[in-house]
Amino acid sequence: MAALSELLGDLVADVDGLFLFTPSSSHYEQFAETDVPTVVIAPENTVEAETFVELPLQFQNVKDRIRFGVEGAMEQRIVEAGDTIACNVGIFGGDPDSLVRVRVEENMRSGIYDLFANSRADPGVIRDVFEVAIELGKKGQKGEPVGALFIVGDAGKVMNKSRPLSYNPFEKSHVYVGDPIVNVMLKEFSRLDGAFVISDSGKIVSAYRYLEPSAEGVDIPKGLGARHMAGGAITRDTNATAIVLSESDGLVRAFKGGKMILEIDPEAY
Amino acid sequence: MPGFASASLIHSSVGPASTAALTPESASASVSASAAPLQTVGGVVDDIVRIAGLRFLGVLAILLLGLVLAYVAGTLVHRLLVSVGVPEAIEGTAFERTARDFDTSTVEILSWLTRYFVLGISIFATLSFAGVNYADRFWGLVIAILPQLFIAILVLIIGVVVGDKVELLVAERLRAVKLPQVNILPALAKYTVFFLATLVALSQVRVATLALIVLLASYLLGLIVFGVVAFRDLLRSGAAGTYLLFTQPYSIGDEIVVGEVRGVVQEFDMFVTHVESEDTEFVIPNARVLDKGVGRVR
Repeated sequence: MAALSELLGDLVADVDGLFLFTPSSSHYEQFAETDVPTVVIAPENTVEAETFVELPLQFQNVKDRIRFGVEGAMEQRIVEAGDTIACNVGIFGGDPDSLVRVRVEENMRSGIYDLFANSRADPGVIRDVFEVAIELGKKGQKGEPVGALFIVGDAGKVMNKSRPLSYNPFEKSHVYVGDPIVNVMLKEFSRLDGAFVISDSGKIVSAYRYLEPSAEGVDIPKGLGARHMAGGAITRDTNATAIVLSESDGLVRAFKGGKMILEIDPEAY
Repeated sequence: MPGFASASLIHSSVGPASTAALTPESASASVSASAAPLQTVGGVVDDIVRIAGLRFLGVLAILLLGLVLAYVAGTLVHRLLVSVGVPEAIEGTAFERTARDFDTSTVEILSWLTRYFVLGISIFATLSFAGVNYADRFWGLVIAILPQLFIAILVLIIGVVVGDKVELLVAERLRAVKLPQVNILPALAKYTVFFLATLVALSQVRVATLALIVLLASYLLGLIVFGVVAFRDLLRSGAAGTYLLFTQPYSIGDEIVVGEVRGVVQEFDMFVTHVESEDTEFVIPNARVLDKGVGRVR
């Protein structure tokens, strides 16, 4: 048993902070009094912690979840490169069940936190679009795998850099993403070609849009198709964020500033 | 009222009181005439037994009926309130929580109140049937005021529950606004509802409420005047925004000119239009858009 305690002791030896992922309030209170700075990372600040990083998506991939938390903490200047932290995180199910020792490094800034917190569009809107894309990737449209392209934010500029493929089904309608009925509409319209354009506040501006960005200097992984290329390229020309569901491999990818920021597998959610 | 009293007096003469009045007479009769007319006395006793027995049975029946009715009414109220979702709707209000502390609930209290009310009515019906009518005027008054008292209590309870609920709802809406001073709004809404409920309850039991009504009127007038003054621009923009949303003379992505501002429409809602030029994002109130007119750049 001594060896086991030692193992645990090694893990938490002189850490600069403790990151609690989605703790219950009793769990949080155990640590609130200790001298190690505690940071809570959760979808909502239910425990009223002083230092808190909002988790927009409950990342199933623990690496992404930790990376998001660390990046958020770096962004808020709670930790900086070189610090060592202990993360108490739940891998199986919701309750925290494991302890991970992480060394904060500058290259951990992948932009995932930036994608949600510092995009032009509201963080809630990006999260809602992600949820639609993930759900669409999981179930497909009527069982068939589909692809979809959502351009979120900076809608005015995006509209000026694209042209309609056909009549816009969302013309003169005032519907917002996140509404369950609207999400069903989005899924139904996903069989249309072209991109969805969504404004900063989540209003669906148009479907059926053909994007015409200049694809110069766009850095996206080789092997991705025209949809990803168009989505990635428009984010370089405008301040928009592109969320793309691939038809071939079923992954959801996010682009910002012409770079791929995040790649998640809908099946894992 | 005198008519009512005399009627009940006449009524009383056929009640048990009449038998009481008869007894001394028959006793004196038995004293004066030693040849006791036993038959008459026996007949009177018989009469008493017969009348009293019937009365007794009737009283019992009415009381029993009252009990059953009270129970059924209470249960019906309970079921009705539960089926329209009252318990969920008032979950978390202060009144409900207090009721919970006493191992009961608002719905339970209301149903018991109904039961007591029906029971009270049935007891009065029993009393009047039994012919107990001492101090008639007093009981008449009580009977007259009882339903009103019941309604007053009901209004008070509903007022308290609704007030609490309104406070919760307003507080929930304002939670995103992280401003300590905003906490006064939920309390204000709650006490307004309390005040209204108290007013209705008091006027139900005929307490003079004129001063309170004057207070309410001045409060509402103040609220409206301040509201109109404070929200004038928002109201104007809202009206203009409704028109713009319906007709959509411009949409997101169009380049427009409003007054000196020229840029691409990024967003528009009920109250404002966001227009972005090369280096600046303007937020233009919709009232101004309608006021200045809008030019669409082709």
